[in-house]
Amino acid sequence: MTVDWLYTTFSQLFSFIENTDLLFLMSAILPIGIIVSLMAANAIVMVYAEMKISAFMQDRVGPMGQGPGLHAGKFGILQPIADPIKLLLKEDTIPEVADKPLFILAPFIIFLGAIIGFLAVPFNENVIVVDLNIGIFYIMAVGSLAVIGLILAGWSSNNKWSLYGGMRSAAQIISYEIPAGLCVIVIIMLAGSLNMQDIIHYQSGGMLNWIIFSNPFSFVAFFVFFICIVAETNRGPFDISEAESELVGGFHTEYSGFRWSIFFLSEYANMLIVAFVAATGFLGGWQSPFQDFMTGPLWGTFWMLGKVFSLLFVMIWFRWTFPRLRVDQLMYICWKVFIPISLINIFGVGIWTILIG
Amino acid sequence: MSRYFRNIAESLSSLLTGMGITFTHMLKIKKGNVTLQYPEEKWPRPERNIGFNHEDYNVIRSRLTVDINDCIGCLKCERICPVQCIKIETEKAPVRGEDINEINHVGITSNGTNKVQVVTRFDIDMTECCYCNLCTYPCPEECIYMTGGPNSKKHPIDYEFSEHDRSDLIYRFAKPGTKEGIQKVKSKQGAQS
Repeated sequence: MTVDWLYTTFSQLFSFIENTDLLFLMSAILPIGIIVSLMAANAIVMVYAEMKISAFMQDRVGPMGQGPGLHAGKFGILQPIADPIKLLLKEDTIPEVADKPLFILAPFIIFLGAIIGFLAVPFNENVIVVDLNIGIFYIMAVGSLAVIGLILAGWSSNNKWSLYGGMRSAAQIISYEIPAGLCVIVIIMLAGSLNMQDIIHYQSGGMLNWIIFSNPFSFVAFFVFFICIVAETNRGPFDISEAESELVGGFHTEYSGFRWSIFFLSEYANMLIVAFVAATGFLGGWQSPFQDFMTGPLWGTFWMLGKVFSLLFVMIWFRWTFPRLRVDQLMYICWKVFIPISLINIFGVGIWTILIG
Repeated sequence: MSRYFRNIAESLSSLLTGMGITFTHMLKIKKGNVTLQYPEEKWPRPERNIGFNHEDYNVIRSRLTVDINDCIGCLKCERICPVQCIKIETEKAPVRGEDINEINHVGITSNGTNKVQVVTRFDIDMTECCYCNLCTYPCPEECIYMTGGPNSKKHPIDYEFSEHDRSDLIYRFAKPGTKEGIQKVKSKQGAQS
């Protein structure tokens, strides 16, 4: 379902419309609408999963209830619906000394960064909004757009904790872009393409053909990449930019209500994108793990989402297991551990492809 | 250099150990769960000894109860209440000491007194009640009393008195519909006569 395909379909269906700009607008807006609803649905599912999984890991039961009304539904199933309603009804405050235009702009930039990353994400063999020939590079590029929004939010709040949070997140995201990018180079070396669908087609034919299992260096590269993308989404043990216990709330301290929920939505959307990239690059995307077993467009979506949500589960698992890292520890891991390892990986993959194949 | 690699190996193993611990806790949530779903589940009442046997003397909090069939509507408890938490309204019965079946009114108390009044409202606001027990002494029919103590056999013991809504803490002892019922009965009798 590329935009081109939609465009041709629309022009055949609505042949009475002479205006081609209108057709183009329709075929461009429809995928965006689907992506936004996917983001919202993902946030709802993830909020519930996060509450429940964190509760189970801490021997609690999480949100529970006996029915709608006073309680949040059976097993608290209505809790993720009650939360957005509460957020939307909250007062939207802007601090008096804040830089107002930037303060209002910041959540939109982060949201934009989250939403345009989805354009190059393949859902199955046919469903991809725009099949860019530099897909993985494009996603890595727009993924770092979020740092502008974060530092803007921190700066415009005119609050030292927010500024600390923005600065920390900028340092963190820029640092972790490097090992993540170096791990993406491993994918590109093996697949020989930047196109997401080409990368997936390279991994066809069962689990052992996936890039993660193709040689020992790419196996290491997957784990380095995964930890780097967790750090890039400001999550898990790497959430020093919004550390509640040190910085109140980091860059989103001064935000409330709807603006805050935009930050929240973007965080989960960013998680989803990076999980898509990891699943595409290392785990074979929509390919079935068992060669010709359960293949097809619908099963492709199933495998893709299955891989993505397992990765998201691991992210939640990380967050509720590990204590938060100190700033210097974070930088140590990035510059002194991950970057050397990923450079060795690139070298090793190169040698491996020449010698073994 | 060897320390560098040893650090990496150590941290990897400790991270995996931590992840294993949280994962096992997540899988064993059915057994290891420590949360009590409070209004649906309650901890068992602890057995304790304060010099009396548990059956002989109920040490759990008591609260006011009214046997409305025995109440003659004398308003003594309402007058003596130091915080005015008892509200009683009465209506004169058509015939003294006679049952009125339409509103389940019992004409004669268990002590044998013929009732003059029909109690149409008997509310005790438990949010205001100070548990001073003063209202139980003047009652001529002993129909208002504290649960617990010698009365613990009559009522199931509740030690929380918690409700979902605050208005549920106003205990309404009068039979529902008495107020409308007695007026209907009176107007019917007036029409007959």
